[in-house]
Amino acid sequence: MRFRSAFTSKWVVIAAILACQFVAFEVGLRLAGGSEAAPEFQRLFVTDPRIGHRLRPGVQTRFRTSEYETTIAVNRQGVRDEEIGPKAPNERRIVVLGDSLVMAAQVELNQTFCKLLEARLNAARPGGAIHYRVINAGVQGYGPVEKYLFYRYVARTFDPDLVLIGLYPGNDVTQARASAYRLAGTGAGTGTGTGASTTAPVGESVGVWARRIVRRSMVLQVIRLRVLTLLDHFGRAPEVYAPLRAYLQQPPPEVDEGLAVVRECVSRITAVALDQHATTAVLLFPTRFQVDDNEFRYQQKGVAEAGQILLRDGATERFKTTLADLKLPLLDVLPALRDASRGGPVYFTGTAHFTSRGHAAIAEALGAFLDSAGIVPATEGTR
Amino acid sequence: MVFNSVHFVVFFAAVYALYRLLPHRGQNWLLLVASYYFYASWDWRFLGLLLASTVVDFFCGRYIAAREAPRQRKAALILSLAFNLSMLGFFKYFNFFADNLHALFGVCGFRVDFFTLRVLLPIGISFYTFITMSYVIDVYRRTIEPARDLVEFGVFVAYFPHLVAGPILRASLLLVQVSKPRIIMSSQVAEGLWLILYGFFKKMFVADNLAPLVNATFAGSAHPGGLEVVLAVLAFAFQIYGDFSGYSDIARGTSKLLGIELNLNFRFPYFAATPQEFWANWHMSLSAWLRDYLFLPLSYAFSKRLDGVGWLGLRDDFWIYASATMITMLLGGLWHGAAWTFVLWGAYQGLLLVVFKVATGGRRKRRRRSHPVVVGLGIAGMFALTCYGWLLFRAESVAQIASMTKAIFTGFDPNMVALTTMGLPLVGYGAPLALLQAIEWKTDNLDVVFRWPAPLRWAVAGVLAYLIVLFGNFEGSKFIYFQF
Repeated sequence: MRFRSAFTSKWVVIAAILACQFVAFEVGLRLAGGSEAAPEFQRLFVTDPRIGHRLRPGVQTRFRTSEYETTIAVNRQGVRDEEIGPKAPNERRIVVLGDSLVMAAQVELNQTFCKLLEARLNAARPGGAIHYRVINAGVQGYGPVEKYLFYRYVARTFDPDLVLIGLYPGNDVTQARASAYRLAGTGAGTGTGTGASTTAPVGESVGVWARRIVRRSMVLQVIRLRVLTLLDHFGRAPEVYAPLRAYLQQPPPEVDEGLAVVRECVSRITAVALDQHATTAVLLFPTRFQVDDNEFRYQQKGVAEAGQILLRDGATERFKTTLADLKLPLLDVLPALRDASRGGPVYFTGTAHFTSRGHAAIAEALGAFLDSAGIVPATEGTR
Repeated sequence: MVFNSVHFVVFFAAVYALYRLLPHRGQNWLLLVASYYFYASWDWRFLGLLLASTVVDFFCGRYIAAREAPRQRKAALILSLAFNLSMLGFFKYFNFFADNLHALFGVCGFRVDFFTLRVLLPIGISFYTFITMSYVIDVYRRTIEPARDLVEFGVFVAYFPHLVAGPILRASLLLVQVSKPRIIMSSQVAEGLWLILYGFFKKMFVADNLAPLVNATFAGSAHPGGLEVVLAVLAFAFQIYGDFSGYSDIARGTSKLLGIELNLNFRFPYFAATPQEFWANWHMSLSAWLRDYLFLPLSYAFSKRLDGVGWLGLRDDFWIYASATMITMLLGGLWHGAAWTFVLWGAYQGLLLVVFKVATGGRRKRRRRSHPVVVGLGIAGMFALTCYGWLLFRAESVAQIASMTKAIFTGFDPNMVALTTMGLPLVGYGAPLALLQAIEWKTDNLDVVFRWPAPLRWAVAGVLAYLIVLFGNFEGSKFIYFQF
């Protein structure tokens, strides 16, 4: 092969070297595994024009990192749970909507707080008159808008008696604001229409195609995350990491905008649930620094350098205030996790997700909360 | 604005584009304005200090050079030194001395309420005061000519690549380059880009990824065992080297792009076999500064007083060396920060230098011709001693130094948890740098990779780039030496 100039040949050699190294790193990362960017993990998801993405029905994978190794199986209905058949007359269903904290890819299904709660409820009411089913309807990457849409288009078919909305103040404000456009046209109604257009415009289809390519490569996935991180520097208030902004003593206006969307989503979920004669309650999950003192000092220092003050429970309190007028039963699991953390870690080290100890603490607190609030669906009359 | 931020990349791209279009005088004005903007982006309130230091030392230098009378020259020198040292003393050491005096009076049974000011430390003050002091002293010694142009002198003091964390430059190197038109060669650009990449690798891949391991172990609430302490100290050895030499590489690289050469600050210091060798290769610009402006004048002063005095069977030249070394290293330790841990670190380094001087009798061994096992043992031993020094340097308090030292010797409990959670990341993030350094040391050439055949060089650069992008820390954390 002859090149027109030394300049061209130089860049061809550089491109070839980079391509070879790309392959080497791709192979290395795939062999090492341990990242959510891994194809094994990414294959759990499928694009959904109404919601954005959801779990791919019927898929199963093994997910391994240095801290944990789990099997994740998605049932035919598209949630990380056992198959959901027709509802028996003595069956009471609790659907837990949420994000990765609910989906809990870091622990086995029987260690998730959903399944621990299910076991607790059934053990507390022996005799078999009523059978409780707690359905894990959490999907990685969901904000409040996606939770509402997922309930509206998918989870309402599970015919729940109680809907628990898992909210994560750590990033729900940012995500709600970013996805607010998806609410347009979906209204507060309870229909099962598609809502958003199912036909993607040309630009979007190219985007979908590009995303598909990126999703298949671990190297490209990481590069994509790097690009997003860099782009974030050009956004507003770049000095404070976006998920921390809801915890600031003086939060930027976008936090109030995000909270308004959160409230709207919770309100819409409640409306759909009411239409199904189901009760609704809210679960507030803390972020790791609310439990871990060292982590808090570290984050606090970083925020102080940006001239701001980090309130440890600031976002949790803001969520409570925002949702107060909806008058929904609300459980803040922070105290339970703080108690449990004295006996061992409730969060993993390399990820902000709960360990099995954390899930057990949440299940225990949630069980007690449902009992005390009197919202455990016990008989036909409670619906 | 840290080097590893989008802000700096945009800032430098804009400055560089404009720089290439301007004539020499315009380039100097641009560098001055850009440097002040760079400094003001940290805290604009401290820009006044930088300006004051520049103006005072410019005119002191001019005054000294223009006078012949020794008293007048000395008076101007003292004025300049007093100004710089009082500025440094107030902003860097006021809290330290006030707190310690308060504690001392408390121990003696007196309750004295000093007025306490929560003085903020202006970033880079230790560096630019040393730069301006060396300039005035050199003018006083008549080793350099004074600056003729305030803009050129302003650039010399505030030049942004080295402003906040060195290298500590001498006027004989930088001022000369600022005052002459610069020619930027393509080889200089290529070398500059390589240094920038290497620097980012050291900072974002090595230092910032090891920082969490170190921080977790040295956190006040942690009670680590001996193995955890050893691993954390090893991680810190890589972290501080990656951080500081990475900064120096980026500084040298960006400066090369601007056609200005900065001096070398590190030369594989962890391959040193003696403390003397370590200090000749670690933070070389500070070592040289301390040698020329503190150690040698002190040695000269002591030689007058200790001439012919021999104690404990050791000759006067040893005592001169020991006294000057201990004072220099104690002050060098204090230069790093206003805390007793730094003073202890300085004393420890001073003791190492003195003890090795006695042990070797001042002979310089030709290490590279020794048996490889002897060389390896020497390097490993010195690295262990350096690492213990890093424990003193990194510790949050003297009490922590005591507890960690105790843990190393009495609580060493090898366990798989520490080896997997700390040992594996240490090897993963440290090994690539150690390999590159070993190659550089073996060939005795810091630029060896850059001198390799082009495809091999590009391959190494590609690997470094992938490691940064895939595994680097993109949080834009500050460089450790900014606090000094």
